[in-house]
Amino acid sequence: MSLLRPFSKLPELNMANVLLVGNDDTFQHVLADAIVKQENNVNVNVRLARTLPLPAENEDSRPRIDLVVLIVNLRSELSLSSTETSLKHLDTGFFLGKVCFLVTGARCTSVPHERLASLRKIAVSLHCPLLFTEDQTAKGISAAAGRVLNILRVSAGLVPLATGLGLSTLIRCSLPPDLDCQD
Amino acid sequence: MEDVAKELLSRLVRRIPLVRLRHVLGRWERLSKTQLLSLDFTQPKWALCENLLSLCEENEIAVKDLTEIEMLYRSEYPDQGVWHVFQLVDTSEESLSSDFMHFRDQFKANLKDLINHVSIKMKKLEDESVWIRIAWGGNFSRPNHLKPTYVVHHLQTPYVFVSSLANKHKPLLFQALALSAHCGSVKDVNLSGRCLTALRDLSMRQYKQVFPSRHQKRLEERDLLPNPSIENEHIKLAEYKQQVASEVFGDGVLPKLETAVYKLETKYREHGSENLARRDEPFRGVVKFSSSNLLESLKYCVSSGMASTPVTPLLSSITHKGRNYFVIKDKQHGSVPNTSASKF
Amino acid sequence: MNPVLCLSLCLTPNNVFCIVVEAGTPWKGNDTVERHLAAVERVGLSRGLSPQAVSILLEFSLSLRSAIGIRVLKFLVPASTVPEEAIIRGVSWLCVDKMPVNMQVLFVRWVLTVFDLIDSKDQLRAIYGFIFNFVTEENLVRRVLVLLFITYPLLELQTRMGCQPFLMHLLSVYKVYCPELVTISVPAKMKSGFKNHNSTWKAALAAVQKSSTTELLSDLQLSVGVSQQPATRKRKLHRHLTIPAVSSSIQSQSRLSGSKVFPLEQLRTFSQLLENLHRIELPAQMGSLLGSTVALHFLDCVRDSSAFLRLNFWLGHLLHEEFIFCKDGGTQDLTEATGFLNTLISTQCFLQEGFAATELFLYKFLNIWDGSLLRPEILGLLSNIPVVPCSRIKTLLFEPLMQLFFTSSLFFKCSVIECLTNMLLKWLTWHSVYAFEDELDISVTSQTPMNMTLSGLMDSVVELVHFVGRISTIGLQLEGYHSLLLSFTLDFYMMVSDMYLKYDLPLVLMPPAGVFYPALFATDPVNLDKLCHIMYRYRTNLMSAKNQEQKMKISRKTYHEFNQYVVSMVSCLWNSRAFQPGMGLEMDEGLLSRSGVPEPWTRFSLVYHPAFLGYAVDFHENCWPERMKMDLSSIKLGKRWDWYVEFLYCQGLQGLKEFMQSSLRRQSSVGGTRATSDSQSQPPS
Repeated sequence: MSLLRPFSKLPELNMANVLLVGNDDTFQHVLADAIVKQENNVNVNVRLARTLPLPAENEDSRPRIDLVVLIVNLRSELSLSSTETSLKHLDTGFFLGKVCFLVTGARCTSVPHERLASLRKIAVSLHCPLLFTEDQTAKGISAAAGRVLNILRVSAGLVPLATGLGLSTLIRCSLPPDLDCQD
Repeated sequence: MEDVAKELLSRLVRRIPLVRLRHVLGRWERLSKTQLLSLDFTQPKWALCENLLSLCEENEIAVKDLTEIEMLYRSEYPDQGVWHVFQLVDTSEESLSSDFMHFRDQFKANLKDLINHVSIKMKKLEDESVWIRIAWGGNFSRPNHLKPTYVVHHLQTPYVFVSSLANKHKPLLFQALALSAHCGSVKDVNLSGRCLTALRDLSMRQYKQVFPSRHQKRLEERDLLPNPSIENEHIKLAEYKQQVASEVFGDGVLPKLETAVYKLETKYREHGSENLARRDEPFRGVVKFSSSNLLESLKYCVSSGMASTPVTPLLSSITHKGRNYFVIKDKQHGSVPNTSASKF
Repeated sequence: MNPVLCLSLCLTPNNVFCIVVEAGTPWKGNDTVERHLAAVERVGLSRGLSPQAVSILLEFSLSLRSAIGIRVLKFLVPASTVPEEAIIRGVSWLCVDKMPVNMQVLFVRWVLTVFDLIDSKDQLRAIYGFIFNFVTEENLVRRVLVLLFITYPLLELQTRMGCQPFLMHLLSVYKVYCPELVTISVPAKMKSGFKNHNSTWKAALAAVQKSSTTELLSDLQLSVGVSQQPATRKRKLHRHLTIPAVSSSIQSQSRLSGSKVFPLEQLRTFSQLLENLHRIELPAQMGSLLGSTVALHFLDCVRDSSAFLRLNFWLGHLLHEEFIFCKDGGTQDLTEATGFLNTLISTQCFLQEGFAATELFLYKFLNIWDGSLLRPEILGLLSNIPVVPCSRIKTLLFEPLMQLFFTSSLFFKCSVIECLTNMLLKWLTWHSVYAFEDELDISVTSQTPMNMTLSGLMDSVVELVHFVGRISTIGLQLEGYHSLLLSFTLDFYMMVSDMYLKYDLPLVLMPPAGVFYPALFATDPVNLDKLCHIMYRYRTNLMSAKNQEQKMKISRKTYHEFNQYVVSMVSCLWNSRAFQPGMGLEMDEGLLSRSGVPEPWTRFSLVYHPAFLGYAVDFHENCWPERMKMDLSSIKLGKRWDWYVEFLYCQGLQGLKEFMQSSLRRQSSVGGTRATSDSQSQPPS
C-alpha cells in the first residue's frame, strides 16, 4: 500500500511521463500508442496500470509521474468502482493539476445516467478536469491523445508561463446546469 | 414437373445467394455446359427461377435430383442453421465401422422399418464425413422435402451432428442410428451452434490447446509492446491472465460458438425470511451469453481482467467438457457438482 | 339506472343511415338494435362509412358512454372523408368530463388515425391547443414538478410490471427531458415501443381505401409516424436522421374541388407560394420542412407557434436519440449525421434564427463532447444560438467551452474563437434589425419564451466579449502567441470595435492587455495592421459616442484605456520612445539594460519593428541600391521618413494608414519626425 507521490523524484530534461490507469486494456494500449506517436518534440513516456497502487517492485525504474489519467469506461460499473479505489492511492499533491479523468461511452444509451453523475461529483469535489472521448473511432482516439498531451505538456512544465495548477483551475469540472428547470 | 419439385426449386433459388447458387449448379452436373452458360445470374431471382424451371423440364429432372442441389449447398456451406451434437454411447470395439456402403444400407433399412414414408439421401464427402438428408412423411402423407433433417456423421467417431430435427422424429432417427452404428443408445451432449467445424473441433478436442509453459508465452508478450516509451506497470499480472485465458480457452483461432446457456434451479437460502425458504418450488433462472464468437469474447473477458481468475469451472467447462448448455442445481439434488455462480 | 339512449338504425342502399333515437328504450337484450349494429359493422368494415354516417355514428357512440359506444367507435371506418364538424363535436364530448377514460383514449386514437382524412382543419386548428393540452396532460409533461409526480409512479409501475414495451418507450421519452429521474437504462433495441394501437382501424381503413377507386390514402403510412416508413434494416438504425419527404394530408387535387387547401408537396416555385399562401396546409411531418426552401419560406411567414412547437419537438427528440443516447455508443457512420446537421445549419441560416431544440441539445452535448466529433457542424450550430441570458450564459456555455478550449489543439482554439465571432455577429445583427422596431423588445419574432430587453442583450454581449478576452489571453499564452490564433482573436475584436456604429449597440469594450500587447509586438505585419485598423475603428466609435453623449454613457475608464493603448502604440511605432515613463507601457530601465539590446526604445518603431523590418530593408535597398553597408537609421532622417511611411502605406497596410492619419498631428516644424498623439488631451474631441 504505497502512495504514489508527484514530487518524490527529480524531473528529467525534455521528458514527460503520463500514467494511464484503467482496466480497459485495448483502449489503453491504443491511446498510449496514439500519445507516443503524436508528440515529436519531447520524450513522452507512457506507463500503463490497471489500478493503483502500483506494484512496489517497479518503484526504482519508474520515473516521476507528471500526469495521472484515470480512464473510466461508463459502460462498466467495475471501471467506475475501480477508479474510485485507485483514487485513494494518489498523494494529495497530484490533485494540484496533475490528475484528469478520461471518460468513454458517455453517449451510449445503455449507460445509466447516475453513473456519469456520480463521476462528475467526484471530479468536482477533487477539482479535476473531466475529458470525454469517443473511443470507438480512430479520430476520436487521436483527439483524446492530443488533449491528454496538451495537459501533460503543461503539467510537466514544458510550456513557458503555464503551470498545471493554473490550467486545472481553468478546465476543472463543474456541475452542469439543470437544463430542465428553465422556464 | 410436379408441383413439389417446382416449389422446392423456387425455394432453393430464393434461399441461396446468387454467387453460391452459380457454384452449386456448376457442381450439380445435371445441366449441360451450354445450359449453364445460358443462365444469366444478373437477372432478378424470379426470372432466373423461371429459366431454371424450363431447363429442368427440358432435362426431365425429378425431385430427387433437386434435393441433390440442396445437399450440395448444405455440404458446401455447412454454417446454415443450428447444429446439435449427439454422441453414440456404449459402442463396442468393432462396431464403429468404416465401411460407408454397409452403414448406408443398414441405416436406410433400419429407418424404413420404423417409418413408411421417408426419403433418405446419403453421401460421403472427401473429408470422410457422411451426409444424410432425411425428408420425413407422416403415416398417410408423402415425405416433406421442404423441411428436411440433415445428419452429419464421421465414421469411426462417436459423434453425430443434426440440424432441424423435429421432436417427434427424434426417437426414430436415434433408433436407426443406434442400430446401424451398433451402439447402445444416442446421448445429447448439450452442444449446439451454427458452425459445424467448430462443433466438430470442440467435441473431438481438435482445436489448439495450450499447456502451462511460461517461458514461450512471455517472449510473445514482449512483442506486443514494441514501443520502449510505453511500459505496463502490471505486466506480470497481464501475462498471468493471458496465460490463464489461453489455458482455459485455447490459443490461436478459437472454435466459433454463438451461445452458452446456464439454467439455474436453486433453493432460497437465507435466515430470516421463512416464506421464501419454505417454498417447495426452486427458483429458476436462465443466464444466456451470446456473441458472434463466444469463446473469443470469454477469453477476452479473462485476459482483460473483466472476469476474475482463476476462471470459474462454469466457463471453463465449455471447452473442457465440450458443451454449451448447463443445468445447475443445488447440491442435494446433485446433477452437476458445481453450484458456484460465475463472477463477472 | 339512468335512462339509456337507444337507437334504431335503418340501412338504406346508398349507405346513408337514418338514426332515430328514442330516450328510455332499454338496449340490453334488444334484438333489433343488435341486428342493426351488426349490419352497420359489416358495412363499416367492408366498404367504409359515408361522411354523414361517420358524423352521426360518432355523435351516437360518444354520447352513449358504454360498451356499445366503444363497439361503434371500433368499426367507424370512413370510406372517404371525415367531416370536421364531427370531430369538433366529438371533442366537445371530451370536455363534458363524463366519458370513461378508455373511451377518451380510444377517441383520441381514432382521431389520430383518421386525422389525414378530415376534410378541412381550419376550425380544428383553433382547438388544437385544447387537444394538445388534453394529450400532454396525460403524456408529455415538460414541467419538472409534474414530471416528478408522473415519473415516480411510472418507475414504480415499471418495477412492478417489468419491462412492458410501451412503458419503456414512455420512459425513454421522459429520459430526453429528465435523464436524472429516469435512471434505469433503456434497452438499445426498442423499435416499436408503443404498440400500434391504431392498427384496429388501420387495417380496415387500408382495406376500405384500397377497394374504393379514389385511393385517397396511398400514404397513410407516412403520415402516421416516422418509424412506420418502409425502410431497410440499415435505414432503421438511422431512421431519424433522414429528412422525411414532404407529404401533406391531402393527396389528390380532385378532392380539393370543394375545399381550399393546397398541399405543400405540390409547391414548386416561389410564385406558387405567393398565390396560395393563405391556403397551405402544414405537412404531417414537420421535419419534412427542413428539406425544401419554399416550405421554409412558408414556415417563415406563417409564424404559427404550433408549427414551431411541432418542429422543435421533432428536432429535439431526434437530436437526443442520435447524438446523446446513441444506440451503439457512437460507432455509426457519420456521413448521414454530417449531412443532417448541415441541412439544419442551412435551415437556421435561412430562417436567421436558431431552434430552441437545437439550443437545448447543444447545452447538453457540450458537456459530453470530446471536441472532435462533428466539430465543424457542432460549432456551426453553436454560432447560431439565440442570445443567452447573462445569468445562465456562464454555466450553459462558458464552462463547458472553456474546458474544451484549453485542452484542445490550436486549430480547435481558432475555430472556437471563430464560432464565438459568428455568434456575436448573429446577436448584433439580430439586435440591429429588431432593436428599434418595437421599443427595443427584440423578442417579437423569436420562438423562445425568453423576453430579452436591450439591457439584457447588452449584459450578454459584455459577458461574451469578456469571456473571449479571457480565454484568448490565456490561449495565446499557452500557444506561444501563435499568429494564427492572434489573427482569429483580432477578427473578433474587429467586430467588437464597431459595435456602436455598425450595429447600433451603445457599447464600447476595449480588448484586454493580454491581446493588445501581443498584437502590438506581433512578428507579422498582418496582425499589427489589423490592430491598427481596430484602434482606428475604436477611435471613430468613441468619437461619435462622444458627440451623442446624451444617448449613451461611455465610462471614463474606457476612454482612459483607449488613450493608454494609443499612447503606447504611437510611442512604440512612431516616436521610438517605447517603455519610457508616461508612454503607456513602462519597463524598469535596469531590466532593459540587462537585455543587452542597444537603444531598446527604438526597437519597435516602424523601422525596427520585427513586423516591418522586411519592409525597411526593402525600402533601404530601393533608396540606396549602391550602398554596401546597411544603415536603417538613415531612414529616419528628413524626407526619407515621409517616403518610408508612404512606402508602407503602399504595401497594403491600410489599417496602419487609417490609424496614423487619424491619431497623429504632425508637427512638421520641429525635427520633422516628432509627432504627438492628440488623444493625450483626452477625451478626444
